[in-house]
Amino acid sequence: MFYNVVLYVALAVFGIGLLYKISGWFRLSIGIDAQNMTMPTRIRAVVKGMLAVIFSRKLLTLIRVFFMDVLLQIQILKKDKLRWFMHMLIYAGFMFLLFTHALDKIITTSLFDKYYLKLNPFLLFAGFMVLSGIAIAIYRRFILKVPRLKTNAMDLYVIIMLAIIILSGFALELTKLASYNQYQTIWYVHVLTCLLGLAYLPFSKMFHMFTTPASLLANAVMDKNSCPANIMTRQLMELDSCTHCGTCSLHCSVAVAFDSLGNENILPSERMVFLKDYIIRKDISARGLAAIQQGIYLCTNCDRCTVECPAGINLRDLWFNVREEVIQRGHAVSLMLTPFSYYRGLNLSEVDPEQYDHPLNKAQKALTGHFELPDKTEAVIPLTPANREFKESAGLSLSASTYAFCFTCENCSTVCPVAGNYENPQEHLDLLPHQIIRSLGFGLKDLAMGSRMLWYCLTCYQCQEHCPQGIKVTDIFYELKNLAVKEASLSSE
Amino acid sequence: MMKFALFLGCNIPVRVQQYELSARAVLDNLGVEVVDNSEFKCCGYPIRNTDHKTFVLMAARNLALAEQQGLDMMVLCMCCFGSLKKAADLMKHNPDLQEEVNAILAREDLKYTGTVAIKHFLSVLYHDIGINAIKEKVAKPFKGLKIATHYGCHALRPSDVTEFDNPVAPVLFDALVSVTGAQSIDWPLKLECCGAPILGVNDRLSLDLTEKKLADGRAAGADYLCVSCPYCQMQFDRAQQMMKSPNSCLSSIVFSQLLGLAFGIQDNALGMNMNMFDINSIKSFLE
Repeated sequence: MFYNVVLYVALAVFGIGLLYKISGWFRLSIGIDAQNMTMPTRIRAVVKGMLAVIFSRKLLTLIRVFFMDVLLQIQILKKDKLRWFMHMLIYAGFMFLLFTHALDKIITTSLFDKYYLKLNPFLLFAGFMVLSGIAIAIYRRFILKVPRLKTNAMDLYVIIMLAIIILSGFALELTKLASYNQYQTIWYVHVLTCLLGLAYLPFSKMFHMFTTPASLLANAVMDKNSCPANIMTRQLMELDSCTHCGTCSLHCSVAVAFDSLGNENILPSERMVFLKDYIIRKDISARGLAAIQQGIYLCTNCDRCTVECPAGINLRDLWFNVREEVIQRGHAVSLMLTPFSYYRGLNLSEVDPEQYDHPLNKAQKALTGHFELPDKTEAVIPLTPANREFKESAGLSLSASTYAFCFTCENCSTVCPVAGNYENPQEHLDLLPHQIIRSLGFGLKDLAMGSRMLWYCLTCYQCQEHCPQGIKVTDIFYELKNLAVKEASLSSE
Repeated sequence: MMKFALFLGCNIPVRVQQYELSARAVLDNLGVEVVDNSEFKCCGYPIRNTDHKTFVLMAARNLALAEQQGLDMMVLCMCCFGSLKKAADLMKHNPDLQEEVNAILAREDLKYTGTVAIKHFLSVLYHDIGINAIKEKVAKPFKGLKIATHYGCHALRPSDVTEFDNPVAPVLFDALVSVTGAQSIDWPLKLECCGAPILGVNDRLSLDLTEKKLADGRAAGADYLCVSCPYCQMQFDRAQQMMKSPNSCLSSIVFSQLLGLAFGIQDNALGMNMNMFDINSIKSFLE
């Protein structure tokens, strides 16, 4: 009786959870694409897309991917044998236990008479398989020091839950003949953990057993030109397919930046954790927004995460889509005024022209806007250093102090291709290179750090190469930019 | 046999694959062995504007990995090359910075000591292999082909750091182009920037500079531009296609593709169809 009640409650929670999670793929939205699609439109698009695939040659692709990538997980095998072995032990062992033992009344008893006696050695073996898999998982996460591999509560939950199920299963076998009381207690532990795992499955990362195959299959037949509604639905589903295995972060080109900046959102695996929450609750704190903006913009679009993801998630398109959404919001993103923007520039056509300039202007304003002097052409500048403290320390390096050698020959400005591009450079750049160097000499911080020239500098080093006084002009510009970013982030806090 | 750790950077493997393919083919032909390291990551170049320390850290990690392999580094991208050279130079003159960076690298059991030599692909060809050795391999020289060589800023300057060539009157790239039988022409904007560093920041300015170079190259009578950096190639290839009025259309070929053709290497191995502009007509200049 008790067992039946708990079983049906667990099944009901599982069923409702499944519906709730799946409806989310059609209910919620992510990024800039297909924002205004209604739920019925999106469901129709999926049905239409699926039918189109089933009645086409792409069906063969699906069958191949199902066997190779879903069942045999060849992609993981190719990349990391230990992880493949670990996953296979858990996955094959658990599936065997699920079908022959947990569902024995439905499957096994109809096939074998007195199945338990016949299959018992196999069940024990399957149990050992899962247990060994868990041991490897623990070894990988806690003993093997994989750099920047994060383990969160969900990862722990899955490991602990699986361990309890299997260990209590073994304990049942051991106590079966010894003590009825102990057997009964352990039976409750075993069955309740199983049912809890089942009920919570749609909300846990174990949900990936449904969604990861779906992602692998969807990505095998979808591309950039697929219906935008389906791309959004797929991207929402992909968030549920992520198992937080950390492969993306391991291969990420810029993950190293996390070591000095400490922002977890730089790591793609942690960004996925953030996004799972973000799609449900978009009103995040200013600090949280700034962190995700930096994390998602600090990306060279090298594609490694997408290539390496064992769940087949198209992270490249997900980042592009979400990046556009978060940079339109709130804070200015100083990283936008760096070569990290190159990819966005190349993909200009994918961004709404009205939204393209907005975050760039915002970033430029945040970095140059609070320096007032360049805008006040009528202001009188004192001849004595206005800010001796800035002039003397300013956080500038020793080589930057070469600015003092400037005798205003203007060579730097003459050879600068940016200055040379304009009829009236000051109108577009505020100051010319030699004026920035002179501003440093005068201790005029606003002038030195506030001009657009700094951010439109190509860093082609013509100025520095041509300075007869050996002033490290380009290097000084780099330092001034660093300082301006520091000041802007301080003033926004 | 010469052996290098090959540093590809972020752009080449995904957006300028023809460079990687053709460079490997050419190096193989010349008997240079390259060793890949999947742990090589971003060189730090794009973050230098905003965070100096992170820039040095990212560069130093790659250098430390090459030291661990016990190999010198060959870099295909000029921006990566400049960035790695700059970081090495900064640490050389600032032991505190090196120590600070090493403290972070120690978490991955890495240490940068400053022993690794960093060389650009063109430098390896010119200095390590030598013009004569390359000449011997040229099976099908070009004839009557006028090439505008684009040197690339971050390899050339700051010259005291990059040690690439004479910053005002460089010869290295021209000499390499000449080996293929092509003529490296003089053109006024030869040493100027391609415009790539600020694409996405100020597109108008970036494309203006690109267009100026293209117009200048054409006016000088060039049949093709030749580059040896993925950013320059993307700018002259992809970004040129984005321009509203490509009245100064001039396609760009990566140097390793040009050299590969002269070596008689097959099109596929040089990624001849991976450029946005069709560059196959360059083969009509082959003898």
